Amino acid sequence: MMLPLILAVYASSDERALIGRLQRRDPQALADLYDRYGRAAYSLVLRVVHDKSIAEDLVQETFLRVWNRVHSIDSEKGSIGPWLLAIARNRAIDYLRSSAGRERNAVELNETDHAPLYREMETDILISDQARRVKAALDKLAPNYKTVMELAYFEGLSQSEMSVRMGQPLGTIKTWVRTALQSLRDELGVAVSP
Amino acid sequence: MNCDQLRDHYDLFALDIAEQPERDEIRAHLNRTCEVCTSGVKRSLETAALIGAAAPPAQPSSQLRRRILASVGGQERSSRGLNWWAPVLAMTALAIVAVYLAIGSRQYAQAADRLRDQVRGQAAQIGRLTQAFAILSGSRTIEASFGGAQPKPPQGKVFVNPSRGVLLIASNLPRTPADKIYEMWIIPKTAKPVPAGLFQSQDDGNAMHVQPGTVDVPSTAAIAVTVENQAGAGQPTTQPLIVASLAATPR
Repeated sequence: MMLPLILAVYASSDERALIGRLQRRDPQALADLYDRYGRAAYSLVLRVVHDKSIAEDLVQETFLRVWNRVHSIDSEKGSIGPWLLAIARNRAIDYLRSSAGRERNAVELNETDHAPLYREMETDILISDQARRVKAALDKLAPNYKTVMELAYFEGLSQSEMSVRMGQPLGTIKTWVRTALQSLRDELGVAVSP
Repeated sequence: MNCDQLRDHYDLFALDIAEQPERDEIRAHLNRTCEVCTSGVKRSLETAALIGAAAPPAQPSSQLRRRILASVGGQERSSRGLNWWAPVLAMTALAIVAVYLAIGSRQYAQAADRLRDQVRGQAAQIGRLTQAFAILSGSRTIEASFGGAQPKPPQGKVFVNPSRGVLLIASNLPRTPADKIYEMWIIPKTAKPVPAGLFQSQDDGNAMHVQPGTVDVPSTAAIAVTVENQAGAGQPTTQPLIVASLAATPR
Protein backbone atom coordinates (compact mmCIF):
# COMPACT_ATOMS: atom_id res chain seq x y z
CA MET A 1 0.00 0.00 0.00
CA MET A 2 2.83 2.37 0.78
CA LEU A 3 4.85 1.58 -2.29
CA PRO A 4 3.11 3.97 -4.73
CA LEU A 5 3.47 6.78 -2.27
CA ILE A 6 7.07 5.95 -1.64
CA LEU A 7 7.72 5.92 -5.38
CA ALA A 8 5.83 9.17 -5.74
CA VAL A 9 8.21 10.90 -3.41
CA TYR A 10 11.25 9.28 -4.94
CA ALA A 11 14.02 11.84 -5.04
CA SER A 12 16.64 10.85 -7.57
CA SER A 13 20.18 12.06 -7.86
CA ASP A 14 19.12 14.82 -10.26
CA GLU A 15 17.28 16.66 -7.48
CA ARG A 16 19.96 19.34 -7.49
CA ALA A 17 19.54 19.83 -11.23
CA LEU A 18 15.80 20.10 -10.72
CA ILE A 19 16.26 22.84 -8.13
CA GLY A 20 18.57 24.65 -10.53
CA ARG A 21 16.00 24.48 -13.33
CA LEU A 22 13.29 25.76 -11.00
CA GLN A 23 15.53 28.65 -10.02
CA ARG A 24 15.97 29.44 -13.72
CA ARG A 25 12.17 29.66 -13.95
CA ASP A 26 11.78 26.69 -16.28
CA PRO A 27 8.04 25.79 -16.19
CA GLN A 28 8.84 22.24 -17.29
CA ALA A 29 10.86 21.87 -14.09
CA LEU A 30 7.67 22.58 -12.15
CA ALA A 31 5.97 19.82 -14.15
CA ASP A 32 8.78 17.45 -13.18
CA LEU A 33 8.52 18.55 -9.56
CA TYR A 34 4.79 17.89 -9.63
CA ASP A 35 5.30 14.45 -11.20
CA ARG A 36 7.71 13.62 -8.41
CA TYR A 37 5.93 15.03 -5.38
CA GLY A 38 2.39 15.97 -6.48
CA ARG A 39 0.73 12.77 -5.39
CA ALA A 40 2.50 12.69 -2.06
CA ALA A 41 1.57 16.30 -1.35
CA TYR A 42 -2.04 15.68 -2.35
CA SER A 43 -2.27 12.53 -0.20
CA LEU A 44 -0.95 14.45 2.79
CA VAL A 45 -3.21 17.46 2.30
CA LEU A 46 -6.28 15.32 1.67
CA ARG A 47 -5.58 13.43 4.89
CA VAL A 48 -5.70 16.79 6.70
CA VAL A 49 -8.65 18.55 5.06
CA HIS A 50 -10.79 15.56 3.92
CA ASP A 51 -12.07 17.48 0.88
CA LYS A 52 -10.76 16.74 -2.61
CA SER A 53 -11.49 20.15 -4.09
CA ILE A 54 -9.93 22.06 -1.22
CA ALA A 55 -6.98 19.67 -1.18
CA GLU A 56 -6.28 20.41 -4.85
CA ASP A 57 -6.48 24.17 -4.22
CA LEU A 58 -4.01 23.85 -1.37
CA VAL A 59 -1.63 21.66 -3.38
CA GLN A 60 -1.69 24.22 -6.19
CA GLU A 61 -0.94 26.92 -3.64
CA THR A 62 1.91 24.80 -2.30
CA PHE A 63 3.58 24.37 -5.68
CA LEU A 64 3.21 28.07 -6.46
CA ARG A 65 4.76 28.90 -3.13
CA VAL A 66 7.70 26.63 -3.87
CA TRP A 67 7.98 28.20 -7.34
CA ASN A 68 8.06 31.70 -5.84
CA ARG A 69 10.48 30.83 -3.06
CA VAL A 70 12.79 28.29 -4.64
CA HIS A 71 15.63 30.80 -4.72
CA SER A 72 15.93 30.43 -0.97
CA ILE A 73 17.10 26.83 -1.42
CA ASP A 74 20.77 26.14 -1.94
CA SER A 75 20.79 23.94 -5.05
CA GLU A 76 23.95 22.21 -3.85
CA LYS A 77 22.67 21.39 -0.38
CA GLY A 78 18.93 21.84 -0.35
CA SER A 79 16.27 19.15 -0.14
CA ILE A 80 13.15 20.20 -1.93
CA GLY A 81 10.93 17.18 -1.22
CA PRO A 82 10.74 17.38 2.57
CA TRP A 83 10.48 21.18 2.28
CA LEU A 84 7.58 20.93 -0.16
CA LEU A 85 5.73 18.41 2.02
CA ALA A 86 6.22 20.64 5.06
CA ILE A 87 4.75 23.58 3.18
CA ALA A 88 1.86 21.43 1.97
CA ARG A 89 1.12 20.23 5.46
CA ASN A 90 1.25 23.75 6.89
CA ARG A 91 -1.01 25.17 4.17
CA ALA A 92 -3.50 22.43 5.03
CA ILE A 93 -3.26 22.95 8.78
CA ASP A 94 -3.55 26.71 8.28
CA TYR A 95 -6.71 26.15 6.26
CA LEU A 96 -8.09 23.86 8.94
CA ARG A 97 -7.41 26.45 11.62
CA SER A 98 -9.01 29.23 9.58
CA SER A 99 -12.11 27.27 8.71
CA ALA A 100 -12.57 26.17 12.31
CA GLY A 101 -12.15 29.71 13.61
CA ARG A 102 -8.94 28.76 15.36
CA GLU A 103 -6.00 31.11 15.48
CA ARG A 104 -3.90 30.99 12.35
CA ASN A 105 -0.37 30.02 13.07
CA ALA A 106 1.45 32.24 10.61
CA VAL A 107 4.64 32.26 12.64
CA GLU A 108 5.15 28.53 12.42
CA LEU A 109 4.05 28.57 8.82
CA ASN A 110 6.89 30.87 7.95
CA GLU A 111 9.39 28.95 10.00
CA THR A 112 8.63 25.69 8.29
CA ASP A 113 8.80 27.52 5.00
CA HIS A 114 12.33 28.43 6.03
CA ALA A 115 14.23 26.60 3.33
CA PRO A 116 17.71 26.68 4.90
CA LEU A 117 16.50 24.30 7.62
CA TYR A 118 16.16 21.72 4.86
CA ARG A 119 19.79 22.03 3.84
CA GLU A 120 21.74 18.81 3.63
CA MET A 121 18.70 16.79 4.60
CA GLU A 122 18.77 13.35 3.07
CA THR A 123 16.91 13.70 -0.20
CA ASP A 124 15.96 10.05 -0.12
CA ILE A 125 14.58 9.89 3.40
CA LEU A 126 11.15 9.62 1.85
CA ILE A 127 12.02 6.70 -0.40
CA SER A 128 14.03 4.54 1.91
CA ASP A 129 12.36 1.70 3.69
CA GLN A 130 12.19 4.07 6.66
CA ALA A 131 9.16 5.67 5.03
CA ARG A 132 7.51 2.28 5.15
CA ARG A 133 8.66 1.76 8.68
CA VAL A 134 7.13 5.01 9.86
CA LYS A 135 3.64 3.74 9.14
CA ALA A 136 4.43 0.51 10.93
CA ALA A 137 5.84 2.54 13.82
CA LEU A 138 2.70 4.66 14.00
CA ASP A 139 0.55 1.54 13.90
CA LYS A 140 2.58 0.05 16.73
CA LEU A 141 1.86 2.95 19.07
CA ALA A 142 -0.66 2.46 21.83
CA PRO A 143 -4.05 3.93 20.77
CA ASN A 144 -3.74 7.05 22.91
CA TYR A 145 -0.22 7.73 21.67
CA LYS A 146 -1.24 7.23 18.07
CA THR A 147 -4.21 9.54 18.54
CA VAL A 148 -2.13 12.40 19.91
CA MET A 149 0.36 12.04 17.05
CA GLU A 150 -2.40 12.15 14.47
CA LEU A 151 -4.10 15.09 16.17
CA ALA A 152 -0.80 16.94 16.21
CA TYR A 153 0.39 16.12 12.73
CA PHE A 154 -2.78 15.83 10.69
CA GLU A 155 -5.04 18.26 12.58
CA GLY A 156 -2.46 20.70 13.91
CA LEU A 157 -3.87 20.67 17.44
CA SER A 158 -1.79 22.15 20.21
CA GLN A 159 -1.35 20.09 23.35
CA SER A 160 -3.91 22.29 25.11
CA GLU A 161 -6.41 21.72 22.31
CA MET A 162 -5.76 17.98 22.47
CA SER A 163 -6.44 18.13 26.18
CA VAL A 164 -9.89 19.60 25.54
CA ARG A 165 -10.61 17.27 22.60
CA MET A 166 -9.65 14.13 24.48
CA GLY A 167 -10.94 15.23 27.87
CA GLN A 168 -7.62 14.54 29.53
CA PRO A 169 -5.46 16.76 31.77
CA LEU A 170 -2.84 18.76 29.92
CA GLY A 171 -0.08 17.01 31.85
CA THR A 172 -1.34 13.63 30.66
CA ILE A 173 -1.42 14.83 27.07
CA LYS A 174 2.13 16.14 27.35
CA THR A 175 3.28 12.79 28.69
CA TRP A 176 1.54 10.91 25.89
CA VAL A 177 3.03 13.22 23.26
CA ARG A 178 6.52 12.91 24.69
CA THR A 179 6.25 9.13 24.98
CA ALA A 180 4.80 8.79 21.47
CA LEU A 181 7.56 10.89 19.97
CA GLN A 182 10.21 8.94 21.85
CA SER A 183 8.71 5.66 20.66
CA LEU A 184 8.67 6.91 17.09
CA ARG A 185 12.21 8.14 17.40
CA ASP A 186 13.30 4.77 18.72
CA GLU A 187 11.63 3.04 15.79
CA LEU A 188 13.00 5.51 13.29
CA GLY A 189 16.36 5.95 14.90
CA VAL A 190 18.16 4.67 11.84
CA ALA A 191 16.15 6.88 9.53
CA VAL A 192 17.21 10.18 10.96
CA SER A 193 20.73 11.41 11.15
CA PRO A 194 22.32 11.58 14.58
CA MET B 1 17.31 28.87 27.88
CA ASN B 2 20.22 26.77 26.75
CA CYS B 3 20.25 24.10 24.07
CA ASP B 4 20.03 21.25 26.58
CA GLN B 5 16.80 22.66 27.97
CA LEU B 6 15.37 22.99 24.48
CA ARG B 7 16.38 19.57 23.20
CA ASP B 8 13.12 17.87 24.29
CA HIS B 9 11.07 20.46 22.44
CA TYR B 10 12.57 20.14 18.93
CA ASP B 11 10.00 17.55 17.85
CA LEU B 12 7.14 19.64 19.24
CA PHE B 13 8.52 22.67 17.41
CA ALA B 14 8.73 20.73 14.13
CA LEU B 15 5.11 19.65 14.61
CA ASP B 16 4.02 23.24 15.40
CA ILE B 17 2.83 22.29 18.88
CA ALA B 18 5.70 23.65 20.97
CA GLU B 19 4.48 25.98 23.67
CA GLN B 20 5.90 29.16 25.12
CA PRO B 21 8.49 30.07 26.16
CA GLU B 22 10.25 27.17 24.42
CA ARG B 23 8.85 28.08 21.00
CA ASP B 24 10.29 31.60 21.07
CA GLU B 25 13.53 30.32 22.57
CA ILE B 26 14.04 27.79 19.78
CA ARG B 27 13.16 30.43 17.23
CA ALA B 28 15.77 32.73 18.74
CA HIS B 29 18.40 29.99 18.62
CA LEU B 30 17.58 29.30 14.96
CA ASN B 31 17.72 32.98 14.10
CA ARG B 32 21.23 33.20 15.46
CA THR B 33 22.10 29.98 13.58
CA CYS B 34 22.81 27.99 16.73
CA GLU B 35 24.43 24.81 15.41
CA VAL B 36 23.01 22.54 18.11
CA CYS B 37 19.41 23.69 17.73
CA THR B 38 19.57 23.92 13.93
CA SER B 39 20.82 20.35 13.76
CA GLY B 40 18.23 19.14 16.25
CA VAL B 41 15.30 20.88 14.57
CA LYS B 42 16.47 19.61 11.19
CA ARG B 43 16.41 16.06 12.53
CA SER B 44 12.91 16.60 13.88
CA LEU B 45 11.77 18.00 10.53
CA GLU B 46 13.04 14.82 8.90
CA THR B 47 10.91 12.80 11.29
CA ALA B 48 7.94 15.05 10.51
CA ALA B 49 8.48 14.53 6.77
CA LEU B 50 8.42 10.79 7.32
CA ILE B 51 5.13 11.04 9.19
CA GLY B 52 3.74 13.01 6.25
CA ALA B 53 4.75 10.21 3.91
CA ALA B 54 2.59 7.87 5.98
CA ALA B 55 -0.63 9.52 4.80
CA PRO B 56 -2.93 7.11 2.91
CA PRO B 57 -2.12 7.31 -0.82
CA ALA B 58 -4.62 9.31 -2.87
CA GLN B 59 -4.79 10.34 -6.51
CA PRO B 60 -5.43 13.98 -7.48
CA SER B 61 -7.48 14.78 -10.57
CA SER B 62 -5.69 15.09 -13.89
CA GLN B 63 -6.68 18.78 -14.01
CA LEU B 64 -4.52 19.65 -11.03
CA ARG B 65 -1.25 19.25 -12.90
CA ARG B 66 -2.57 21.42 -15.73
CA ARG B 67 -3.79 24.10 -13.33
CA ILE B 68 -0.44 24.30 -11.61
CA LEU B 69 1.49 24.51 -14.86
CA ALA B 70 -0.87 27.10 -16.33
CA SER B 71 -0.40 29.33 -13.32
CA VAL B 72 3.30 29.71 -14.10
CA GLY B 73 3.07 29.63 -17.88
CA GLY B 74 3.93 25.97 -18.38
CA GLN B 75 1.98 23.57 -20.58
CA GLU B 76 1.07 19.88 -20.60
CA ARG B 77 3.24 17.51 -22.57
CA SER B 78 0.21 15.37 -23.33
CA SER B 79 -2.85 16.58 -25.22
CA ARG B 80 -5.42 15.29 -22.74
CA GLY B 81 -8.17 17.77 -21.91
CA LEU B 82 -7.13 20.74 -24.03
CA ASN B 83 -7.93 24.18 -22.66
CA TRP B 84 -9.84 26.77 -24.69
CA TRP B 85 -6.64 28.54 -25.55
CA ALA B 86 -4.95 25.38 -26.75
CA PRO B 87 -5.80 25.98 -30.44
CA VAL B 88 -4.00 29.31 -30.29
CA LEU B 89 -0.94 27.64 -28.83
CA ALA B 90 -1.18 24.81 -31.34
CA MET B 91 -1.30 27.22 -34.26
CA THR B 92 1.66 29.13 -32.96
CA ALA B 93 3.55 25.89 -32.43
CA LEU B 94 2.74 24.86 -35.99
CA ALA B 95 4.11 28.17 -37.20
CA ILE B 96 7.30 27.48 -35.29
CA VAL B 97 7.59 24.03 -36.87
CA ALA B 98 6.94 25.50 -40.33
CA VAL B 99 9.72 27.99 -39.80
CA TYR B 100 12.03 25.13 -38.86
CA LEU B 101 11.11 22.99 -41.85
CA ALA B 102 11.13 25.74 -44.47
CA ILE B 103 14.25 27.50 -43.56
CA GLY B 104 16.26 25.52 -41.07
CA SER B 105 18.90 28.15 -40.75
CA ARG B 106 20.32 29.20 -37.48
CA GLN B 107 18.88 32.65 -37.85
CA TYR B 108 15.37 31.29 -38.07
CA ALA B 109 15.97 28.82 -35.30
CA GLN B 110 16.67 31.83 -33.13
CA ALA B 111 13.44 33.37 -34.34
CA ALA B 112 11.65 30.17 -33.39
CA ASP B 113 13.16 30.38 -29.93
CA ARG B 114 11.83 33.89 -29.59
CA LEU B 115 8.40 32.74 -30.72
CA ARG B 116 8.50 29.89 -28.23
CA ASP B 117 9.33 32.35 -25.48
CA GLN B 118 6.45 34.53 -26.60
CA VAL B 119 4.08 31.57 -26.48
CA ARG B 120 5.29 30.68 -23.04
CA GLY B 121 4.88 34.26 -21.90
CA GLN B 122 1.40 34.45 -23.37
CA ALA B 123 0.41 31.22 -21.66
CA ALA B 124 1.67 32.61 -18.36
CA GLN B 125 -0.29 35.77 -18.94
CA ILE B 126 -3.43 33.75 -19.77
CA GLY B 127 -2.96 31.79 -16.55
CA ARG B 128 -2.68 34.95 -14.49
CA LEU B 129 -5.64 36.58 -16.24
CA THR B 130 -7.75 33.47 -15.69
CA GLN B 131 -6.98 33.58 -11.98
CA ALA B 132 -7.63 37.33 -11.87
CA PHE B 133 -10.96 36.91 -13.64
CA ALA B 134 -11.95 34.16 -11.22
CA ILE B 135 -11.33 36.51 -8.30
CA LEU B 136 -13.04 39.50 -9.92
CA SER B 137 -16.10 37.47 -10.82
CA GLY B 138 -16.43 35.72 -7.46
CA SER B 139 -19.69 36.48 -5.67
CA ARG B 140 -17.91 36.74 -2.33
CA THR B 141 -15.13 39.03 -3.59
CA ILE B 142 -14.57 42.26 -1.69
CA GLU B 143 -12.43 45.18 -2.83
CA ALA B 144 -10.42 47.94 -1.21
CA SER B 145 -8.63 50.96 -2.66
CA PHE B 146 -5.27 52.40 -1.68
CA GLY B 147 -3.08 55.40 -2.35
CA GLY B 148 -5.65 58.14 -2.68
CA ALA B 149 -4.28 60.53 -0.08
CA GLN B 150 -0.62 60.73 -1.02
CA PRO B 151 0.91 63.32 -3.38
CA LYS B 152 2.34 60.88 -5.96
CA PRO B 153 1.28 57.54 -4.65
CA PRO B 154 1.09 54.04 -5.94
CA GLN B 155 -2.64 53.78 -6.53
CA GLY B 156 -4.96 50.91 -7.18
CA LYS B 157 -7.23 48.28 -5.73
CA VAL B 158 -7.09 44.89 -4.13
CA PHE B 159 -9.76 42.25 -4.60
CA VAL B 160 -10.03 39.49 -2.01
CA ASN B 161 -12.02 36.29 -2.39
CA PRO B 162 -12.10 33.80 0.50
CA SER B 163 -11.68 30.73 -1.70
CA ARG B 164 -9.89 32.13 -4.76
CA GLY B 165 -7.21 34.45 -3.39
CA VAL B 166 -6.05 38.03 -3.69
CA LEU B 167 -5.71 40.21 -6.81
CA LEU B 168 -3.73 43.44 -6.65
CA ILE B 169 -3.82 46.01 -9.44
CA ALA B 170 -1.53 49.01 -8.98
CA SER B 171 -0.16 51.97 -10.92
CA ASN B 172 2.52 54.60 -10.22
CA LEU B 173 4.81 51.99 -8.72
CA PRO B 174 8.45 53.17 -8.65
CA ARG B 175 11.02 50.92 -10.31
CA THR B 176 12.72 48.70 -7.72
CA PRO B 177 16.54 48.51 -7.51
CA ALA B 178 18.10 45.66 -9.51
CA ASP B 179 18.36 43.28 -6.56
CA LYS B 180 14.93 44.07 -5.11
CA ILE B 181 11.40 42.91 -5.76
CA TYR B 182 7.90 43.72 -4.54
CA GLU B 183 6.35 41.31 -2.04
CA MET B 184 2.66 41.27 -1.17
CA TRP B 185 1.48 40.45 2.37
CA ILE B 186 -1.79 39.37 3.90
CA ILE B 187 -1.97 41.15 7.26
CA PRO B 188 -4.08 39.26 9.82
CA LYS B 189 -5.70 41.23 12.62
CA THR B 190 -3.96 39.32 15.39
CA ALA B 191 -0.97 37.59 13.85
CA LYS B 192 2.12 38.33 11.84
CA PRO B 193 1.96 39.16 8.12
CA VAL B 194 1.71 36.17 5.80
CA PRO B 195 3.76 36.32 2.56
CA ALA B 196 1.55 36.44 -0.54
CA GLY B 197 3.92 36.28 -3.48
CA LEU B 198 6.55 38.28 -5.31
CA PHE B 199 6.09 40.51 -8.35
CA GLN B 200 7.68 43.27 -10.40
CA SER B 201 6.10 46.35 -11.93
CA GLN B 202 6.19 47.05 -15.63
CA ASP B 203 8.26 49.89 -17.07
CA ASP B 204 5.22 52.19 -16.97
CA GLY B 205 4.78 51.57 -13.22
CA ASN B 206 1.74 49.32 -13.57
CA ALA B 207 1.49 45.90 -11.96
CA MET B 208 -1.01 43.10 -11.55
CA HIS B 209 -0.32 40.38 -9.01
CA VAL B 210 -2.45 37.35 -8.17
CA GLN B 211 -2.00 35.18 -5.09
CA PRO B 212 -4.31 32.19 -5.51
CA GLY B 213 -5.56 30.22 -2.52
CA THR B 214 -7.82 30.59 0.43
CA VAL B 215 -8.03 33.76 2.52
CA ASP B 216 -9.64 34.04 5.93
CA VAL B 217 -11.26 37.39 5.13
CA PRO B 218 -12.89 38.12 8.52
CA SER B 219 -9.54 37.82 10.29
CA THR B 220 -7.63 39.83 7.67
CA ALA B 221 -6.94 43.48 8.45
CA ALA B 222 -5.19 44.58 5.27
CA ILE B 223 -3.21 43.73 2.17
CA ALA B 224 0.22 45.36 1.99
CA VAL B 225 3.23 45.53 -0.31
CA THR B 226 6.87 46.04 0.63
CA VAL B 227 10.16 46.08 -1.28
CA GLU B 228 12.30 43.05 -0.43
CA ASN B 229 15.38 41.21 -1.62
CA GLN B 230 14.98 39.09 -4.74
CA ALA B 231 14.37 35.86 -2.80
CA GLY B 232 11.56 37.48 -0.82
CA ALA B 233 11.29 37.62 2.96
CA GLY B 234 9.50 35.66 5.65
CA GLN B 235 8.40 38.87 7.30
CA PRO B 236 8.40 42.46 6.00
CA THR B 237 11.79 44.16 6.33
CA THR B 238 10.80 47.58 4.96
CA GLN B 239 7.98 50.04 5.46
CA PRO B 240 4.96 49.10 3.32
CA LEU B 241 4.64 51.00 0.07
CA ILE B 242 1.00 49.97 -0.19
CA VAL B 243 -1.53 49.29 2.54
CA ALA B 244 -5.08 48.48 1.52
CA SER B 245 -7.21 48.22 4.64
CA LEU B 246 -10.10 45.78 4.59
CA ALA B 247 -11.48 47.14 7.85
CA ALA B 248 -14.09 49.44 6.29
CA THR B 249 -14.95 47.08 3.47
CA PRO B 250 -18.43 45.51 3.59
CA ARG B 251 -18.25 41.76 4.10
